[in-house]
Amino acid sequence: MTDAVTMEVKILRSSPSEGVPSAYQHFTVQGTDNMRVLDVIRSIYENQAGDLAYQFACRIGRCGTCAMRVNGVPVLACQERCKLQMRIDPLSPFPVVRDLVVDRTEVETRYAQMALTPAGPQSNARVRPIAPAVAEELCHLDSCLACMVCVSGCPAVEEHAFDGPAFMLKLRHMQEHPADNGDRLGQALDGGLLECFACDACTQLCPADLSPAQAIRDFRRDMIIGSKPK
Amino acid sequence: MSAVLPLPRNTTRQADTYITGYVARTLNRACGMIVVAFVLVHVVAEAILRVPALAPVNAGLPWLPVVQNQAWVHAILYFCIAFHTLYGLKLLAGDVGLRVPARASFLVIVGIAGLFALRELLRYVGL
Repeated sequence: MTDAVTMEVKILRSSPSEGVPSAYQHFTVQGTDNMRVLDVIRSIYENQAGDLAYQFACRIGRCGTCAMRVNGVPVLACQERCKLQMRIDPLSPFPVVRDLVVDRTEVETRYAQMALTPAGPQSNARVRPIAPAVAEELCHLDSCLACMVCVSGCPAVEEHAFDGPAFMLKLRHMQEHPADNGDRLGQALDGGLLECFACDACTQLCPADLSPAQAIRDFRRDMIIGSKPK
Repeated sequence: MSAVLPLPRNTTRQADTYITGYVARTLNRACGMIVVAFVLVHVVAEAILRVPALAPVNAGLPWLPVVQNQAWVHAILYFCIAFHTLYGLKLLAGDVGLRVPARASFLVIVGIAGLFALRELLRYVGL
């Protein structure tokens, strides 16, 4: 059963390239209580503000494109249920392109700089099989959507020079990979590993059921006790 | 890695739930600041109460010894000391490889710290 509801929605709208300062625009939306935030935004776009800029792709919580902040909490708009009162902001701390669309260039650049590809086997080397448990773990770590919800929700990113939990998770993924021989702990330290407060907010917010906080703790354990040989 | 940790999340109502980590971090900071502030105030207050040269100042502050012996002040202080210590130990334990569920450990630490506060309150009523 779904109930008809009336929602009061505030969306932070801006267009830095056109010099339009950011300001909240209010909308009243008629809908049902099982709508997702993305449905509400689409309704606003189709019926009230045709110039509203927003992004989405899969609508099933697998692409991470529709990440934004609802009432101050970073979420995937396609997964989050609508609320009667909503304040919708673009995903911080990323630069806004327009309205709810943020520029992810820096994210892609940083991933590229990290060289997140394990070295392949040399032509004369024997290919070593990966243990099933390790393979399962690697697949799990690889399921990060790169939605940046964890980065947006991380208080350490706000306060310190910390790349963010998503990047630490990717580095840990490589660290766990048997074929990788990069200095991932060194990269993590350069990325601000020690700035993390270990508050676990990233784990609670991650839409992909991952635990970046545990990845950070594993790196710290390696730093203190030493890592297991691959 | 994360498979062994309980993930306290409702992905469809994420913005409705309180984020344990934010609460824990804020409380930990607040507790640390309260402990430091109490120690500083306590040192100054004891100096005013006991150093003869500061007797004129003491005469102008009749409420000073009273404030230092309030049950609620001690309850807050003991809660803060216990919470800050236990939460700090939990963070250290995580750094050396112990896997601790975030929300459960936070609630347990708050509970234990609360017992310290309760003990202080009960002490003042003679129990």
